[in-house]
Amino acid sequence: MNTDDLIASIGAELKPSRAGLLTAWVVRGVIVGLVVTAVSFAAFWGMRPDVSVIWSDPALIAKSALPLLLGALALPWMLAEARPAGKSWSAAASTVVLILLGLIILATLYLTPSQQWWVQMMGHSISICLKSIPVLSAPILAGSLIALRRGAPEHPARCGAVAGLVAAGFGAAIYSLFCIEDSPLFYGVWYTLSILFVTSIGAIAGRSLLRW
Amino acid sequence: MDDELENMGSAKEARWAVLLRQSLSGDRVAYVQFLTDIAPVLRGIIRARCGGTSDESEDLLQDTLIAIHQKRHTWRQTDAVGPWIYAIARYKVVDGQRKRRRNRIVAFDGTEDRVPDETLADPSLRGDLNTLLAHLDDTAATIVRDVKLNGLTAEEAGAKLNMTGGAVRVALHRAMAKLSAIAQHDVRPKMSNKERK
Repeated sequence: MNTDDLIASIGAELKPSRAGLLTAWVVRGVIVGLVVTAVSFAAFWGMRPDVSVIWSDPALIAKSALPLLLGALALPWMLAEARPAGKSWSAAASTVVLILLGLIILATLYLTPSQQWWVQMMGHSISICLKSIPVLSAPILAGSLIALRRGAPEHPARCGAVAGLVAAGFGAAIYSLFCIEDSPLFYGVWYTLSILFVTSIGAIAGRSLLRW
Repeated sequence: MDDELENMGSAKEARWAVLLRQSLSGDRVAYVQFLTDIAPVLRGIIRARCGGTSDESEDLLQDTLIAIHQKRHTWRQTDAVGPWIYAIARYKVVDGQRKRRRNRIVAFDGTEDRVPDETLADPSLRGDLNTLLAHLDDTAATIVRDVKLNGLTAEEAGAKLNMTGGAVRVALHRAMAKLSAIAQHDVRPKMSNKERK
């Protein structure tokens, strides 16, 4: 077909569209996922009995706040990845989370006798942690990916990976309310591993799902 | 000189942004003008990047224009238009090359890709068109038959199928692209009872 004819027929198909549609879809996808995650969390995990203890210790605040910050910073990054030539300050800003975590871990290593390092890192619930964070992240990841299919990511795998970061950030923040492992040496290692796992799942899913 | 080029570039950008903004609010005239303006620019970029036959790059250009249409909500009013459309073209070129690589099953000595096979370029020229059409869904096959063989206009074909002329053209474009891929793939079409007389 002649390109001019194609242009004429595309032109005839035009319907007015509202600004900010993509953002609205993606935010809706994330929220639906968060609701599913929150409901499953309440049903199958539940808050730790002494949940208010979190406020008494900066390391414990960080256990919830850092993944939450990761989710919040990666969200605009994910939206930018879904737009052709999209750029966002939040990609660079997300590294703040890593830097903060590194500082907290260094401080803990400094303040903890070295015989305790291994004990604290191993904790008692590695396998629960490694399973729960991906499971709690899954609905959020699914919600974002479905919405992101309306986007046009130049690098589908990368966009999926960032969606994984968003989902795992929020998923880990929610899980942290259940988890009673309070050493940064524990969550610094195992939360990070779980988040990286969800990120890879997001990349793999994005590779095929986010093609357009 | 560089300044001059840059000014021309930003004037073009500004004009595209105005047209695209009007398009998104539903102005069809502005939209056709926008697409007509960007088509030659994209054609140049696509030809430079893919280096294939001009038929191939025209197909990629059309794919890009359809993608721009389908993904127009990913452009924000404050974004520059140029980088946005170039990114879409880049993606479609890479995607097209990936598909082409995947569709190539047997390479003989590497030269056959450079020799365009005229009998395959337009699948409607092949004798076994009917067998090829069995690879399409019924609507697409009807459209190809009506428009390419029976000489109906897109609007006439659309009236029979309860589709707009525009939708028929887009479906036709897709169907022809698929048939080309099948023909180039040299799939031996299966004889099936879907084959029509």
